[in-house]
Amino acid sequence: MINTILEKAKLAIIDAQDLKALDEIRVTFLGKKGELTALLKGLGKLSKEERPKMGEAINQAKVDVQALLTDRKNHLETIELEKRLLEEQVDVSLPGRNAEMGGLHPVTITLKRIQALFAKNGFEVATGPEIEDDFHNFTALNIPEHHPARAMHDTFYFDGSTVLRTHTSPVQIRTLEKQEPPVRIIAPGRVYRCDSDITHTPMFHQVEGLIVDKNANFAQLKGLLIDFLRAYFEKDDLQVRFRPSYFPFTEPSAEADIECVICGGEGCRVCKKTGWLEVLGCGVVHPNVLNSVNVDSEEFTGLAFGMGVERLAMLRYGVNDLRLFFENDIRFLKQFK
Amino acid sequence: MNISTSWLREWISPVVTDEVLAEQLTMAGLEVDGIRTVAPMFSKVVVGHVVSCEKHPDADKLNLCQVDVGEAELVQIICGAKNVRTGLKVIAALVGAKLPGDFKIKKAKLRGVESFGMICSESELGMSDSSDGIAELNSEAPIGQDIRKYLDLDDNIIELDITPNRGDCFSVLGVAREVSANYGMAFVMPEIDITATGSSSIATSVSNTVACPKYLTRSIKGIDNSIQTPKWMADKLTRSGQAVHSPVVDITNYVLMELGQPMHAFDLAKIKGSIEVRNAVAGETVELLNDSTVTLKENTLVIADGDSVLAIAGVMGGQSSSTQATTTDILLESAFFEPVSIAGKARDYGLHTESSLRFERGVDFKITELALDRAAQLIVEICGGEVSEVTSIIDESALPELSPITITRAKIQKILGFELDSNWIEEKFINLDFEISDKTADSWTIIPPSFRFDIRIPADLIEELARLYGYDKLPVQKLSLDANINVIKEAQTDKYDVMQALVSRGYQEVITYSFISEKYQDLIDPSAKKITLTNPISADMSTMRSSLWPGLLQTVESNQRRGHTDARFFEIGLCFGGVKADEQSNKLAGIITGNRFEAQWSTEPQALDFFDAKADLESLLSLTSESFSFEAAEHPALQKGQSANILLNGQSVGWIGALSPIVQKELSLPKCYLYEIDLEVVLSAKMAKYQPFSSYQQAQRDIALVVDQSTPVAQLTDAIKGLNQEHFVGVGLFDVYQGEHIETDKKSIALNLAYQSLEATLADDEVNAKVDEVLALLKDKFNATLR
Repeated sequence: MINTILEKAKLAIIDAQDLKALDEIRVTFLGKKGELTALLKGLGKLSKEERPKMGEAINQAKVDVQALLTDRKNHLETIELEKRLLEEQVDVSLPGRNAEMGGLHPVTITLKRIQALFAKNGFEVATGPEIEDDFHNFTALNIPEHHPARAMHDTFYFDGSTVLRTHTSPVQIRTLEKQEPPVRIIAPGRVYRCDSDITHTPMFHQVEGLIVDKNANFAQLKGLLIDFLRAYFEKDDLQVRFRPSYFPFTEPSAEADIECVICGGEGCRVCKKTGWLEVLGCGVVHPNVLNSVNVDSEEFTGLAFGMGVERLAMLRYGVNDLRLFFENDIRFLKQFK
Repeated sequence: MNISTSWLREWISPVVTDEVLAEQLTMAGLEVDGIRTVAPMFSKVVVGHVVSCEKHPDADKLNLCQVDVGEAELVQIICGAKNVRTGLKVIAALVGAKLPGDFKIKKAKLRGVESFGMICSESELGMSDSSDGIAELNSEAPIGQDIRKYLDLDDNIIELDITPNRGDCFSVLGVAREVSANYGMAFVMPEIDITATGSSSIATSVSNTVACPKYLTRSIKGIDNSIQTPKWMADKLTRSGQAVHSPVVDITNYVLMELGQPMHAFDLAKIKGSIEVRNAVAGETVELLNDSTVTLKENTLVIADGDSVLAIAGVMGGQSSSTQATTTDILLESAFFEPVSIAGKARDYGLHTESSLRFERGVDFKITELALDRAAQLIVEICGGEVSEVTSIIDESALPELSPITITRAKIQKILGFELDSNWIEEKFINLDFEISDKTADSWTIIPPSFRFDIRIPADLIEELARLYGYDKLPVQKLSLDANINVIKEAQTDKYDVMQALVSRGYQEVITYSFISEKYQDLIDPSAKKITLTNPISADMSTMRSSLWPGLLQTVESNQRRGHTDARFFEIGLCFGGVKADEQSNKLAGIITGNRFEAQWSTEPQALDFFDAKADLESLLSLTSESFSFEAAEHPALQKGQSANILLNGQSVGWIGALSPIVQKELSLPKCYLYEIDLEVVLSAKMAKYQPFSSYQQAQRDIALVVDQSTPVAQLTDAIKGLNQEHFVGVGLFDVYQGEHIETDKKSIALNLAYQSLEATLADDEVNAKVDEVLALLKDKFNATLR
């Protein structure tokens, strides 16, 4: 009798095609009114001797049926899951939903990088106005009226004594007007020259640097700038050379050249076959400049440097036309994302 | 300045190649912009003499020439040039010659007649771009001499980029001095010798000796100015970038290039009365050598005779007294004009001359006499004539003062960071012609030479020592670090973080010019103070921007033209409310146009609208600690009804809105949404401050209200917040509805109110009372009715 029920249950379970059918089978055999339950209820009718044996057999059958049910349930659940997964399958090669990023301008990327490198050496960022007065842009920087250097600057004027700053150097003056030495700043920003052709745009960017300290000297200036240039171009053995130059606001003055990063110093169109590229100007701050802001030039020494940001960006990213920086063509800009 | 190395080497010739010499000059501070040869390489080309020249028997246009090239036998060369003729000295390329362009001369047969070489033009030798026929050499050219030697073609031109402090280097003498100091060897001056008799027939006076401390003249009579300038001089001038004119002018230019002293020669016959060096009388005019007539200002020093202005001192001579081919008597001038008095004068009249270039930077005031002698010597040698003695007017007190400068050993070490050897220092001072007037064990006092206007303070001496030592050889040290940890304000957002936030929202940063066209300024911000450049590059770049929008609009426009219709751009930069420092402030502006997202598989294209722009701006504002309000307001660049003033504590800090359809049409732009805000405001961040939060359940109530359509929702929510109810957490807006079931001039607003206590779960009736309070307020203030 038990075996018959067991066989019947087995067949039914194997035949069950979904969880609902399987549950019905469970009720049919194991439910309150189920067939095996009914057998248990009938135990009372059996003799005292038969009862334990029969009871044990029925219970065993219940366990067996339950095991079969569980097996089948697991099986059906797996099938059902597989089916759902198949339905929910996506083409993982499709692009994500609308995740377009923008980007920074290459000049900003370069400025940010320069700023970060100098920040590691304790340089703070200073800024100043772009419409400058004659005093800050020229006179305080030891460029008196009619100095030939003024002619070299191609200045934009508003009136006789108001100009668009021709360099970031006035920030040196503005900083020293309000801050006692020691000073260690860099001043990034826009500068303007009345010049527009293939290699000149009327607006461009410079980063000015200034150190005023009791123990500053030219050897340190060289050390700092060599370190900076090697770090900026990520080349430990980048050749850097310093040669004398002239800026009214520094004495001694120098220009720094690096080995041509385009041809590696072999000589090419970019370095005009010299193997060298001029990248920055620097020097020991002229005593007249320190005196103009009441800093004792005997006690303190100033070191200053200035560099063209577009030039550094062009060399690093291989941009061959300065004007691209201000055309804001999205085909150009998005290359720097 | 261009300088020929063969001219330089007549003065001083270190045993190095021209390239090495050029490199040395660069490293000493005379930057070499380039070095180029006078003629490309070629070989086996000599001076030939055409002994006979006959027509080719079989070709009309060819000539059969017998040419003496200095060998035992004449050489037969066939030549097609029209100007070939018997007796001519020519450039003959012999068999085996290699000409520029890898062109080899071989024995050839032309129409059955043999030719053993080629008679050359200048262009065939790469000496000029084009030539008309073969080159005709001077009749004294030595037959058979290598043409490179004869024409001095193994010469290089060094292009020097001389800095404004080194006016003394604008001459062969100056560069020779520099080479001398660098190589520690002496240079040789040409011999200057002159016989003068009698005095100049013209009286001179100087009324402004401050500007003209030294004025020397002498006359030369009976010259022949109609002859050709000698080839050696013409070549040197040409190679120095000077045009060749007539002998007298060429000689003054030659002395200028040689000694650095600008000179002038007047036609003596054209001078009326005496010469006076004075300031111009306002309104006086002079016709200059460049054929322009200028009206002079009072601050301009001139050379005048009894009648009129003859020249602008130190700048340019005048037409009326200029020398001609027929001139026989001249007055030669050599002067020292004080640099500051001369500075800027040429520029004032739109001029820039070799003379003004030198006088502005400073001309050696002790070479005036020598230069005058040199010029007179050359004129007599070339043009003949009788030279008078010099008439000189010198105001010693007005000449530049050569004050002693003392430099200590300690100062040199402090600035350069290392110690230089004393003997070496002295040697270099001497090489530089610095007179050591005094010295101690630890210091030197020097007097600078009269040609160095840039040596005035100890720092100038340090630079001289440093550059002769070689900047590259100077030591390198680490920067000694003041080990302060600089404050980083947490309540201040880094500008780059703000930029990055926008980049993450799909924005591309742009950098546009700070000057814009007046038209844009008028269109976008007509009420702004107009700040215009007096010398703009163009009318499109004449006005300083008061807003970043013009640049952004132009960027959209130009990219649109290239087919990029979806865009989000931003810029951060200074805008100008005036020319004073505190009227220039940084702003941040954004522009969006086109579709919300690029066309993609997952979404239908949706046009951007006001709330996309607002969301971007709000994301930035959420970085700050402030609360901002948006108040409907009108702006000339924005569309009425879709524009708002951004307020912070009642002050306007920016604008947001849709581009006005009028501006849009005017500039042929697509629909754009713009915002602009003071950068300062965006950068003010908040530092976090912990607040305890409740573990009890939050009570939430949704209410739907009907209000006038014109009532801004923000006013409702602000009013609710303004109640400052106890346990109030916040109010959320989850629906705005207009349409069916709502009167036409009304709108339905659905709000969610949240309350929570830190101590207990709030009872229902407690919450209901609060909601009733809100409803009563809204009813009272906005006539809001529960829907």
